Amino acid sequence: MSVAELVADRRTRAQQERAENRALTKLTIGPSPWVRVGALAALVVLAAIWLLPVAWGAVTSFKHEAEAALPASWWPTTGWTLEAYQQVLGNSDLLIWMWNSLVVAGLVTILTVLISAMAAFAFSQTVFKGRGLLQWLTIASIMMPGQILIVPLFRQMQVMGLVDTFAGIVLPQVVAPVMVFILKRFFDAIPSELLDAARIDGAGTWRLFWTIVLPLSRSILVAVAIFVFIGAWNNFLWPFIVTTDPQFMTLPVGLSTVKNAYGVQYAQNMASAMIAALPLLVVFMLFQRRIVQGVATTGMGGQ
Amino acid sequence: MAASRTRSLVGSSGGLSRRELLRAALVGAGGVALGGALAGCATPSAAGAGKTSVMVWDLFSGGDGALMQEMAGVVAAANPDIAVETTTLAWGPPYYTKLAMASSGGRPPEAAVMHMSRLAGYAPGGLLEPFDLDALAELGITEADFAPAVWQKAQFEGQLYALPLDTHPYIAFHNPDIVQQAGLAGPDGKLDLAAVAGADRFLEAGRAMAEVTGETGVSWGYQRDPAGCWRMFWGLYSQNGGGYELTPGRPAALDEEAATEVFEFLQAMVDGKVAAKNQDGNAASGRFMSNRTGLMFAGEWDLPMFQGANPDVGATQFPAIFDTPANYADSHAFVLPKQGTPDPARREATYRVLAGLLKEGLTWASAGHIPAYQPIVQEPAYQELTPQRDYAPAAEVAVFDPDAWFTGGGSDFQTRMADAMTDTLAGKAPARTAVTRMLSEMDRFLSQPNPA
Amino acid sequence: MTVSNAGVTAPPGRALSDLRKPSGRSGTRTASTGKSLRERDRSGYLFVAPFAVATGLFLLLPTLYGLWMSFTNQSLTGTGSEFIGFANYAEAFSDPQVWTTLWHTVWFTVLSTVPLVVVALVMALLVHTGLPGQWVWRMSFFAPYLLTSAVVSALSSWLFQPDIGLLDTWFTALGLQPVGWLTDENVAMFSIAGVTVWWTVGFNFLLYLAALQGIPQQQYEAATIDGAGGWRRLFSITLPQLRNITGVIVVLQLLASLKVFDQIYLLTAGGPNGSTRPILEYVYDTGFTNYRLGYASAISYVFFALILVFTLVRLLPSRKEA
Repeated sequence: MSVAELVADRRTRAQQERAENRALTKLTIGPSPWVRVGALAALVVLAAIWLLPVAWGAVTSFKHEAEAALPASWWPTTGWTLEAYQQVLGNSDLLIWMWNSLVVAGLVTILTVLISAMAAFAFSQTVFKGRGLLQWLTIASIMMPGQILIVPLFRQMQVMGLVDTFAGIVLPQVVAPVMVFILKRFFDAIPSELLDAARIDGAGTWRLFWTIVLPLSRSILVAVAIFVFIGAWNNFLWPFIVTTDPQFMTLPVGLSTVKNAYGVQYAQNMASAMIAALPLLVVFMLFQRRIVQGVATTGMGGQ
Repeated sequence: MAASRTRSLVGSSGGLSRRELLRAALVGAGGVALGGALAGCATPSAAGAGKTSVMVWDLFSGGDGALMQEMAGVVAAANPDIAVETTTLAWGPPYYTKLAMASSGGRPPEAAVMHMSRLAGYAPGGLLEPFDLDALAELGITEADFAPAVWQKAQFEGQLYALPLDTHPYIAFHNPDIVQQAGLAGPDGKLDLAAVAGADRFLEAGRAMAEVTGETGVSWGYQRDPAGCWRMFWGLYSQNGGGYELTPGRPAALDEEAATEVFEFLQAMVDGKVAAKNQDGNAASGRFMSNRTGLMFAGEWDLPMFQGANPDVGATQFPAIFDTPANYADSHAFVLPKQGTPDPARREATYRVLAGLLKEGLTWASAGHIPAYQPIVQEPAYQELTPQRDYAPAAEVAVFDPDAWFTGGGSDFQTRMADAMTDTLAGKAPARTAVTRMLSEMDRFLSQPNPA
Repeated sequence: MTVSNAGVTAPPGRALSDLRKPSGRSGTRTASTGKSLRERDRSGYLFVAPFAVATGLFLLLPTLYGLWMSFTNQSLTGTGSEFIGFANYAEAFSDPQVWTTLWHTVWFTVLSTVPLVVVALVMALLVHTGLPGQWVWRMSFFAPYLLTSAVVSALSSWLFQPDIGLLDTWFTALGLQPVGWLTDENVAMFSIAGVTVWWTVGFNFLLYLAALQGIPQQQYEAATIDGAGGWRRLFSITLPQLRNITGVIVVLQLLASLKVFDQIYLLTAGGPNGSTRPILEYVYDTGFTNYRLGYASAISYVFFALILVFTLVRLLPSRKEA
């Protein structure tokens, strides 16, 4: 498709969407312009409140440090500056933590999706001794909140030599029984004729899983992956417990544990926060539809 | 020299530590991404292959941390075979928790800074290693280089567990201009301690400074600052002649009358005129630095920050609010967290780094601290530092935290004590309430077994 | 939630997925055995193995190990791992801090759950009107959910900063007394709940939005023809259709709020005067700050028992519906 076609395609889709939205408006709140204005005003107020903290942080991050410590004003009298960003990027381990977070969240996502999908496939499409018991155990473990295990798990990591390692941060996070069940529900719906046909052709179980089941489930896998990634990226408690070496801290842990050596610096604090917030916000803006869908389907436990 | 440890799935390789590699790569990439705006900021440490890396943790998140980094830089330059890295962690309970967890995990930093008052909670539990006096002597560090009292505090069961770095009193900073306009200055233009001696005269002086600034006279941030509350209380309580008894298994005892008087004074001070109500440390410093108060109670470690805002900032020992001369202080020291797999080469390097840091005491003194290493104190250059010499007398009347396993800088005890004071300081409860609550909290600590 | 009660209703020994399969799904049977090909596939345990091993190592093992620890006086420093019977549990039941922090946890859960459901619903209803700016609304409401706790606490404590913070500046400008957002015992928990709502409401908002989009439009059309106004349609069509999803959201939210730690630890570290300290922070403080791993484990298990009771209680009624 050429660029012009793409643009045109986008435009028609946008038009379509607008038309749908107009129809929706008519259906939900009716034709009254007053109700419409009221609803719009409510939306504007809510959105303003929701954007305020980030906006205020962003403004502060571009101020000179001395100005940031004065009573709040939106428009700095001494001008805008990138000083805080330069300081933060030059003097702190922020980028290392970001990298660690990326690696940790990436590994957690890949491993969780893989082992959950495999287990879900086994529960859904194969029969083996003890399957019932295992499924029952999996359900039971959904009720086990990982947070209460911090004490024994830290001890265990010490014994296993995994404190301050990526393995120690990642592995305890990949156990996600809920995801197994979300995926199992999806795999259950795959027509068994399809799989049996492949079996008759002599396909092994691994090939069945890899070439039929996974490709058919791409949408749910992406949804689960997005959900798991956001969770891992934002996870604080476990990485906080299991890392003591700042070089292995993830973003939230490093930001809150390691301080700069120059005293309280409001503009720099906000600059760090802005940099830390950026990656996921950008990803969200790019893939909004996908992410909204992923969170919604997975969040409800695949209902 | 031993190669860097391999600590993880993605371990360090070829002598360059992971941090250095990543920082170089990432800052480089970030710099490019920001259009080269940061090109000058990438400062990968000059660590080459075969260096022994020594990591030192500290909790200097005030301006003093920057000076510790500077000292580490000097030491690294003098020891080209060692890569010295310092990391500043969040002050207080989080720092000590992380330190204990790291030691018990077997992979702690090679050395760490600790309040001497916390030694009782760490040394008995086997979280620290004692210093080898012979190895220290070889580097020119002996008992004779320290004040006897300080050296004594650094011992546990006959062994040296802490290498004293400084004494840091809780003092009064002042803005000379405001002090002068309020008529509180001596002939040298600095705060006249006699003008702020005695509770009534101090409050009077506070009101005079408030007249000058048009806002409040004194900065004291006690909200969200348990350590600040405790330092203030313990210093004033000692000035008021109060003693204590903290014996495990028995009820705590304070001079309740003396303690109540302290809170009555503090309540009178935090009246919204002399000092602002409900102020936290950051806001208090902010006001002082923007010339909206004339006097600020803080640790001397805030000196670099205050000097940054006003090069002429003055500092004196804590005013004599009550009759007994006393000034709250604590002491920083280096300790050796217990290593899971001790490495003699690394240990030797660590000793050299710590000895080097002690001898950079003059830089440390510019952070406001009074160096523990006496050869530095006797140097003429130190004797001439202002305002350091103005508050040097504080060390002579220093009072330290009470002795017990649970007390000390950044301890849970300080948090509990500060919590017990909150209502009283906020004016929601009478002065005596704070005393009663503190005693019952102390009783709770005394009834618990020492977990170390 | 049908996902979990499927397992509860399955007769022991029988694969529960069989009960849940769409009807008519018998599979191709071979003449010789009468068993489906699927049933003859015996390699399933290999597929389950990685998950089973991970669960065993990082969930089951620590659960049992923690239970053992709770009967010892183990310390972080490595000393004392003698078996001391129920001493830790006896101490926990008589430790006022356990009950206070448990109460804080419950109080936070109540304070946060109600607005997290109501505000999310209002947002979803407003956005579902199809008014212009869909992208902006979704973005603003959901974006905070993508921030990590450290960023959330940095932004909000800057907002709450006494004296020079934005909120205090506004209050002062309006001639009001500044509020001790995080420093006043009577206010701090409300501030934290507010921050939590701001942070995580976007998630519930998306769940509601998805549910709203699933309501068949014909119902609205029919209602419009019947002459039902906007409010009528809201109360007679929309809200009743959201009953199920509301149940799901409430339960998910309760379970999430009970495990609160991050934002409280980062914003107030449990203060002022311990007035916001949740039980998970007490576990952390006891185990790691005060070295008492054994006692901390016992507190964890007391907390776990309560969550378990809560979970089972909610499972029982839904079992009947299934």
